[in-house]
Amino acid sequence: MISDALLFWFLAFVTVGSGLAVVLFTNPIYSALSLVMTMVGVSALFVTLGAYFIAGVQLIVYAGAVMVLFVMVLMLFDLKQELMAFSRGQITGALKVISAGLFLGLIFGIITKRSNLSFVDKIPSPADINIDNSKELGTVLFARHIFGFEALGVLLLVIAVGTVALARSKGGTHAKH
Amino acid sequence: MGKDLFEVVVNCVKLLAIFLFMVQAVPILVWLERRGSAFIQNRFGPNRVGPLGLMQLLADALKFLKKEDFAPEAAVRPLFYAAPVFALIPATLAYCAIPFSIPLSVEAFELFGQSWGPYIFKMQGYEMNVGIVFILGVSSLAAYTIMMAGWGSGSKFSLMGALRASAQIVSYELALGLSIVGVIMLYGTFNLTDMVMAQQGPLQFSAFGKVIQLGWLPNWGIFYQPLGFILFFAAAFAESNRLPFDLAEGEAELVAGFHVEYGGFKMLMFFIGEYGHMLIASGLVATFFLGGYGIPIWTVADVRAWLGTMFESPQTVDLMTMLIHLVSYLTKLAIFLWIFIQVRWTLPRFRYDQLMELGWKTMLPWALGNTIVTALVIYLVS
Repeated sequence: MISDALLFWFLAFVTVGSGLAVVLFTNPIYSALSLVMTMVGVSALFVTLGAYFIAGVQLIVYAGAVMVLFVMVLMLFDLKQELMAFSRGQITGALKVISAGLFLGLIFGIITKRSNLSFVDKIPSPADINIDNSKELGTVLFARHIFGFEALGVLLLVIAVGTVALARSKGGTHAKH
Repeated sequence: MGKDLFEVVVNCVKLLAIFLFMVQAVPILVWLERRGSAFIQNRFGPNRVGPLGLMQLLADALKFLKKEDFAPEAAVRPLFYAAPVFALIPATLAYCAIPFSIPLSVEAFELFGQSWGPYIFKMQGYEMNVGIVFILGVSSLAAYTIMMAGWGSGSKFSLMGALRASAQIVSYELALGLSIVGVIMLYGTFNLTDMVMAQQGPLQFSAFGKVIQLGWLPNWGIFYQPLGFILFFAAAFAESNRLPFDLAEGEAELVAGFHVEYGGFKMLMFFIGEYGHMLIASGLVATFFLGGYGIPIWTVADVRAWLGTMFESPQTVDLMTMLIHLVSYLTKLAIFLWIFIQVRWTLPRFRYDQLMELGWKTMLPWALGNTIVTALVIYLVS
């Protein structure tokens, strides 16, 4: 079991470290690539928890699709002015102080109120962890939470249609003439 | 990893061996590609160095290793140097998850005054319950190496090539993922070994309560999912950036795409990554649609029984069964690799808008339709 603990601490270190790197890097490309690393770390943590399907989907959707688009867009911009405005301005300085305060408050809250929070009902036994739980996930999603699932699908469709409509009305290569 | 030292060591060696197999397959594939292209275009190809020009591979590798290691002045060095290394990781991780042959069982034995075993060694790097999802997830990370290389080179040609390549990979990933949903529904599993096991023996399925059997056809996925096969194979070409989908390179307009600024060993690593993706695609097509390591019409039990009439010891029978299935797998792999090469030197390249239209307006709807029809048929028939 010591190898499991080592693996967990290694993955936690990678995930949290690259999460910190997202905020601490001044170059947006490096930030985005660190975010990818965070996603991969989270996915690896899912694997150690036995949630293989979620781990794979995390890789495909977040690391493989969403972040690719982020990085792609960031590469096309010359962000020097925005960088200066964001890292040297007074308003952004105030924003930084506020968000740091919120973050510290969150951590403080979690540490002091820990006794009232319960994250898991019961600790799963190792035998439960190694079974294939994608079937159960499918049953839960498509039987019990079918309404929420479909509603989310409709929401995503609305977003996609809205994005295309906005992009067409504001000009660009596919603008309406 | 394993329950004792021996198993751990064997599993580590296995991972290394699969990685080395992938790397070693590349020079042979390059030779095959150059000789094959020459054959197709009625030329000679490299035939001077060694028998059949085989030593050309060594000369090429030596040349790659000895070239000067340089970075352009405008390059972002960390990304420029990291990209070739990262190009190998997704390909290797994904290739390790594909089963090569049936598991080999080793009986208990004595070594160094200790008793070991019995063991069962899987002929793959590691078995994942969600094999397909894992492979798709890991190989989708390949887009980053391309973008790191393209942006990190600090050259407009590289950046344009990287943009094209990553847009292409993201677009075709949808068609690729959707085209195998039919296969997943058909076998009811994500596990690649289970899929291979479901394709054993002659074509046999139950419809409307009756069992239908065709003795002269193998029970392969291609007969249940022909459209899925075509879509998957086409999307696999796009994913591995091969002609007719090699818009990433487009040497007429982009010199060489995202790896313009690379040379020597770093270039070689991109090469290995690309051929690794070809190997993955061929392995997956064989596993999903052509019965993986299975022998056509025969099941593993049949092969074992046939070998049992020839060899005495069960250990030899086991080993021979494993080897026969390994050869079967490698044959299928080789056939698909040859198709990759044949297609590259036969078809012209798409225009970029044609490529995007094919991906989004043709393959995606067909893949969706294939999924819906498969679901309906499975629901109605069973």
